[in-house]
Amino acid sequence: MQADVIPISILTGFLGSGKTTILGHLLRQSGFSRTAVIINEFGEVALDHELVGASEDSFIELKTGCLCCKIRTDLVQTLQDMLQRRDAGKCSPFDRMVIETSGLADPAPILQTLMTDTSIAGRLVLGGVVATVDTVTGASTLQREDISQKQVAIADKIVLTKLDLNGPAEPALLRRLRELNAGAPVLSADRGKIDSQCLFSAGLYDPHAKSLDVNSWLAEEPRSHARHNADIQAYTLVRKEPIGAVTLTLFLETLAEHCGADLLRLKGIVNVAESPDRPAVIHGVQHVFHAPAWLKRWPSDDRSSRIVFITRRVPQRWVEALFEAIDAEVADVSVGR
Amino acid sequence: MSEAPVDLARELMVQSLAAWRVAGAVQRSRDGAIVICGARKDIRIDAAPSDPMFRWTVTIDGRKRGAISVVGVLRQVREALDPGYAASRVRVALTPLVPY
Repeated sequence: MQADVIPISILTGFLGSGKTTILGHLLRQSGFSRTAVIINEFGEVALDHELVGASEDSFIELKTGCLCCKIRTDLVQTLQDMLQRRDAGKCSPFDRMVIETSGLADPAPILQTLMTDTSIAGRLVLGGVVATVDTVTGASTLQREDISQKQVAIADKIVLTKLDLNGPAEPALLRRLRELNAGAPVLSADRGKIDSQCLFSAGLYDPHAKSLDVNSWLAEEPRSHARHNADIQAYTLVRKEPIGAVTLTLFLETLAEHCGADLLRLKGIVNVAESPDRPAVIHGVQHVFHAPAWLKRWPSDDRSSRIVFITRRVPQRWVEALFEAIDAEVADVSVGR
Repeated sequence: MSEAPVDLARELMVQSLAAWRVAGAVQRSRDGAIVICGARKDIRIDAAPSDPMFRWTVTIDGRKRGAISVVGVLRQVREALDPGYAASRVRVALTPLVPY
């Protein structure tokens, strides 16, 4: 394993949902030292940098546009520069990076950029996606703003903020969060204070243990949380029988082809028939997929394949029907029919 | 071809019309073909077991095309029925999912 592969996490959440307040507190924690932070603010006058109260040389602010659409090349250039400065000993030797997105940013294209840009490939590994939700206005924001729903749906962890203003989160808000993303643990920040370790341990790779925590990363819910008329749905495809490699490949390719941007995120552990002792971990964001990562062993006695889908207007029954049709055809061909 | 892939292809077409929010009905004809009617175009899908190359034949408004797999059938049907469809080409990420 390369010694200097750096996990990079995304802190997202709608405008005013408390991202910068949380970041300000995190930057004062010893557990958050050796972290480089990139803040993206959308607007003419950038204030977030001042609000977090940090002036470290591993702290960069990206303004003049929104990361998800306008300045993705700026992000890549910034990441490259930071890595080069780190390697040359010209800045604090960080071993983790966090991007705070603007409140209007769609985190999916940012994830895609991190997954596909050749200039940073091999140096960065995806950490978790953390979404903040304001308990005062969160419910109405989720009802009104599509981008807010997407930020929550894609997250590995959700953090409730402003509980000091509004008391415990309303059941309706918690229900909505569960509908959008049943698998993500919901944490609370006390006036912005939250333990950095529990917040940014959301990725597949645990840099402290230098190991993979698949079950925590999947955070699957066996039940479907699809709702009638709901655009964003989360559900899990579970298969007890091993899945052939050809079936899996065709299935993922077809999902990417037909769902595109509506496949918000897919992550799973798969019992591949050709590799019964070493499960494959898969991850996709929209039409971009990682090549499977092969675990050395199963993380538990459960050897079923579990694929978690977070989608927009992609019915669970269609996904199941697609898998079944491909699987039956591959089985048919394999016996020469 | 056995019966199971044809049955499951029919079910996939039923679910696909619903997913794409396209009007139409999917039926099995007496000769075993999958027929989509009431949509923008009339479509007939036949299993083609005797053909070594194509497992399916898709007939759209009288024009026949081969399909190598049910994935190819799905693509042809969607192109015919869903005018807003633009396929996304899968891309494989360069960054590793975990450090090597």
